[in-house]
Amino acid sequence: MLHREVLIRLTQARDLLRETEDCTFSVRQVARATGMSPYHFIRLFKAVFGETPKQCQLHARLEKAKHLLTVTDRSVTDVCLEAGFTSLGTFSYVFARRVGMAPTAYRQKVRSMMTRRGEIPHQLIPGCFSLMCGPPN
Amino acid sequence: MRIKLTSVLVDNQDKALKFYTDTLGFKKSKEIPVGEFRWLTVISPEGHADVELALEPNANPAAKQFQEAMFKQGIPITAFEADDIQAEYERLKALGVVFTMAPTNAGPVTIAILSDTCGNLIQIYQPSHD
Repeated sequence: MLHREVLIRLTQARDLLRETEDCTFSVRQVARATGMSPYHFIRLFKAVFGETPKQCQLHARLEKAKHLLTVTDRSVTDVCLEAGFTSLGTFSYVFARRVGMAPTAYRQKVRSMMTRRGEIPHQLIPGCFSLMCGPPN
Repeated sequence: MRIKLTSVLVDNQDKALKFYTDTLGFKKSKEIPVGEFRWLTVISPEGHADVELALEPNANPAAKQFQEAMFKQGIPITAFEADDIQAEYERLKALGVVFTMAPTNAGPVTIAILSDTCGNLIQIYQPSHD
């Protein structure tokens, strides 16, 4: 049984893992902040959130990078660092693998969908409520 | 007018489909591509075949905020009925599902709460016998 207090600590741990600005935390540091051994923390995190802390962190960084590529003109290197990655090589490789295209190609693609500069194209925030409209015929 | 559809927000549709079918035991009903996502629904083999649950992406920032706030407060996003809640609890626990509440008598129903691994808490309940 997961006690409410542990549930809250896990969501706080998830917030720490998603942190990309100023300082980022290693899984070990986050486990310590949660008051669990890294082994126990990773196991429980995966059982509750369906992904490991490392995967959660990577998702958050990729989301941040996608956002920056969409709404700013910052260079790919700047985006890489600001999203919490430390190596441009790793960033480019992981981005291409997960998103299916290179960071610059992604930027071009979303820019072509943009109606107003600096604004996320609505195609990228379909989600939930708009899917309720049903598939296009 | 009829109620035939309900939905839960999920952080990843692939992961959600796996959990809702392989673990919870529902069956995939519809899978229609909609842009980057899918109109994805499941049905319960134990329930009405035309009552569907949509697994909707939480890609909308408002959806994410709502989902996380409810989770942090420990509030289940929806509830499913079980014929034998204790047996479901044991079965799901054996599959590694994390519960935040074991089957607990709450008067007219016995309830339990689990994490769906997609960002939600889900309640399961069994009505008490008359």
